[in-house]
Amino acid sequence: MTATAQKGSGGASAPPGANNQPNSITGWIIRIAALAIIDAFAIWLVYMMIGDGIWQLATVLAIVTIGINIIFLRPQLYPLRWVSPGLALMVIFVAYPILFTIYISFTNYGDGHLLTKQQTIEQFESQVFLPADAETYNYTAFKNADGDFMLWLTPRGGGQPFTVTPGGEPVMREGEPPAELDGFTQIPQNRLLVELTALSALRFGAEDDSFQVSQQQFGVAAKYEQLFVYDPAADTLTNRQSGVVYRPVAGTWTAEDGATMQPGFMVTIGTYNYARLFTDPALREPFVMVFIWTVLFAALSVFITFALGTLLAIVFDVPEMPFRRLLRSLLLIPYAIPAFVSVPVWVGLLNPEFGVVSQAIKALTGGWAPGWFADPLWAKVGILLIQLWLGMPYMFIIVTGALQSLPTDVYEAADLDGANPWHKFYSITLPLLLITVGPLLVASFAFNFNNFTVIQLYNNGGPPMIGTASPVGHTDILATYTYRIAFASGRGADQGYAAAITVIIFLILVVITFFQFRYTNMLEERGENV
Amino acid sequence: MRNKRLLLLSVLVIGALALAACGGGQPTAAPAAPAVEATVAPTEAPAAETPTEAPAAEAPTEAPAAEAAASTDCAATLTIWADEQRAPVLLPLGDKLKADTGVCLNLVQKQFGQIRDDLKVAGPAGEGPDILIGAHDWIGELVNSGLLAEVSLGDLTDSFVPEGVAACNYDSKLYCMPYAVENVAFYINPDLVPEAPATWDDVKTLSQEIKAGGAKYGYLIQENDPYHFYPIQTAFGGYVFGKDENGNWNPTDVGIGSQGTIDAFTWLDGMYADGLLDRAAGINYDLMSAAFQNGDAAMIIGGPWMLDGFRSAGVPYKVVPLPAGPAGQSKPFLGVQGFMISAFSKQPLVAQTFLQQYVATDETMAAFLEANPRPSAWVAANANLDDDLKAFSESGVGSDAMPNIPQMSAVWSSWGTAMQLVSQGKQTPAEAAAEAQKQIETAIAGN
Repeated sequence: MTATAQKGSGGASAPPGANNQPNSITGWIIRIAALAIIDAFAIWLVYMMIGDGIWQLATVLAIVTIGINIIFLRPQLYPLRWVSPGLALMVIFVAYPILFTIYISFTNYGDGHLLTKQQTIEQFESQVFLPADAETYNYTAFKNADGDFMLWLTPRGGGQPFTVTPGGEPVMREGEPPAELDGFTQIPQNRLLVELTALSALRFGAEDDSFQVSQQQFGVAAKYEQLFVYDPAADTLTNRQSGVVYRPVAGTWTAEDGATMQPGFMVTIGTYNYARLFTDPALREPFVMVFIWTVLFAALSVFITFALGTLLAIVFDVPEMPFRRLLRSLLLIPYAIPAFVSVPVWVGLLNPEFGVVSQAIKALTGGWAPGWFADPLWAKVGILLIQLWLGMPYMFIIVTGALQSLPTDVYEAADLDGANPWHKFYSITLPLLLITVGPLLVASFAFNFNNFTVIQLYNNGGPPMIGTASPVGHTDILATYTYRIAFASGRGADQGYAAAITVIIFLILVVITFFQFRYTNMLEERGENV
Repeated sequence: MRNKRLLLLSVLVIGALALAACGGGQPTAAPAAPAVEATVAPTEAPAAETPTEAPAAEAPTEAPAAEAAASTDCAATLTIWADEQRAPVLLPLGDKLKADTGVCLNLVQKQFGQIRDDLKVAGPAGEGPDILIGAHDWIGELVNSGLLAEVSLGDLTDSFVPEGVAACNYDSKLYCMPYAVENVAFYINPDLVPEAPATWDDVKTLSQEIKAGGAKYGYLIQENDPYHFYPIQTAFGGYVFGKDENGNWNPTDVGIGSQGTIDAFTWLDGMYADGLLDRAAGINYDLMSAAFQNGDAAMIIGGPWMLDGFRSAGVPYKVVPLPAGPAGQSKPFLGVQGFMISAFSKQPLVAQTFLQQYVATDETMAAFLEANPRPSAWVAANANLDDDLKAFSESGVGSDAMPNIPQMSAVWSSWGTAMQLVSQGKQTPAEAAAEAQKQIETAIAGN
């Protein structure tokens, strides 16, 4: 494609009024070079990922890269160029993780099921056993110029030594192993270490009656036998010592009598994780309590931070306010400190016996302080206070920004009508504000709905509820509560179950958010009538 | 024109960032970024830096140390994952191993806690270590996931502290070679407690006297910390998991609801009821050790990890054996650290031999003890313990290690909750114990 051709088609497809498309050769070369670099990098990454078996992400990456190429090489798709970085990032960082989480929720992935089926078969097939009456031997290894090995075996129970080669018959010997024997040279003890890996892969002697060096103990050999045999046709593992046959059941090798073997492997298990969500008594029983508090926590967090943020923003919007800039900056400090630092600090301040806040309250009330961590109600109040401290600056910023864009003429009209300040705030400022910040409030709600950090750091979800089927606290939200169930289960971490819980919480949040946006739209319509 | 250029530039930058980020974020694609790779191949040290591998320049996280080491004249390369306290001790062993046998040591330093998580991803992907350092209570989880190979101590079994070896057992097989054993003991402030109390009832009496004498606390314990409470529980006959006839932990025999546990909870409840502890205080680990450091508490249960703090604070302290109870001596949980071999090692026998011949020696074990002063799992190294560590070591004799079965993860939360509810006086000891027992059994049955 030449620059002129591009000029023609590009000009034709560009929307009217759009910026003039730059068509210089330089621009074209830069674009091609940039694409080439991105492509080269992407191809290398995809290649590496396929090598590591991460084919899902490799596929997504390949599709995204091809998409970027098409967008940048076809002038008709010119407008898409502006959003393509955003689209690419969204596919890789938002869409892909969601799809992958959904996929994991249909598997049993987690501790005990980390490997692939093939890997577990290899592990079982590499196990050996020693028949009860079998003799064990001390060995001395020999190697010839061709790299073949020979073992000199001395029975550990006492008896005549002999030598044996892979596939050969044992040859009886006398005395101690010599330095040279039949063209073989003895491997000195300190060089044996580097030959061990090669040595332990070999079987010495006739095929059905062979010696192997121990995988466990240095310098010992015996007639080890393979413990498990996999039959691909029947898809079974047979224990040759006990004769028990194991079949794969939901990712676990299981015998007729229900006995199982570890490790299991990762496999899709249908909707099992979802069925468990609704039948597990540990989860079902306290669910309603936890859900109510989660919604309350998220809603109240948004409400109080918005209320205080708005109040302060309006106060500092008054130009006569002294030290306006300085105070505004100071108000932003809590926003600059990460929650995982400020929450523990607050926990220390609130400590009933040693905390400054509690001590001050005690001094005021004559010895009484709220049970910030032991009392269910006060624990909730404490968390909301911390939320207020953490979240107020954000609301303060966005409301301050939104206030600058409010039209002044409506206020002049209100003044003419003789409205008092409260009326002006309630009937003009608030509705107009909500149009701008409404979606941000919804986002803030969604964020707090899963605000794991604050809850976990404040009191680990406590104080504990009494009489529940699983350990759950009065301040637990869905995220912390289900985290505990999924990662402190009887088998360790259960990622499949955790993913299923995540998907359900996601769906709950989608529904809530949907209705919130409907409400915001209603505000917008109302705003148009102001 | 400028817009266009800017756009292209940002696309390039963002695209590259995105791709690089997701490449680095893919756990199997690269070893964890903070890992410091040190290839111990003394003669080949400069070779590791030769940029023969083109991709290395583009992706620094894809450090090709392992390949570089393999491409030199190493007969084989053993990769070890160790934490920052063990790695410097292992480093010189690399020179020795190379000189003796031609096998190179590739030492990768990682955070202790990170080793377990990284193994779960890197092991199955074939990029894991041959040998790793770990805590014995990881074993059940890792073995059930098929990540560990058996370890043999050969003829050296008797050179190790028996409790340490027992801790490495899972399902009657050995999965680690221990190097350190740690447990809690009893700290007393000799200014306030002239003579160590013999029983937990004595602790109560003594606490009354000390409090009457003006100190804030006699004995102080955290509100929700079953780890530090467990010794008291055993003194009253309580337990966590029973054992089967082979001496393995039995996950169907949960002892949180047992009479012994209830008796221990009753003793604890009595401490609060008599005003010797404060139900509303919300004591946590930091507050507990701070109280001892300030002289506000005269007796606490604590581990050797507190020693540094107490020494530098200059508070008078003495480490003594834990008091006894009706069921006999208090038995703290033992925590054992050791060397494990990955099930995905291509050369388990070499790893095995390295551990037996190079790590299980007086010099190496003494060096571990010096690097991190904890009682050693190597009997001979314990001859050099100072008095404090000796007291810790004696306090753990005859105790069981913390159960290493994966079901243990279902115990902590309910157990701690029960302790907290008793401490706050919200449930009677019997109710709290029964409820925790039920919760734990439900969680274990759920899997």
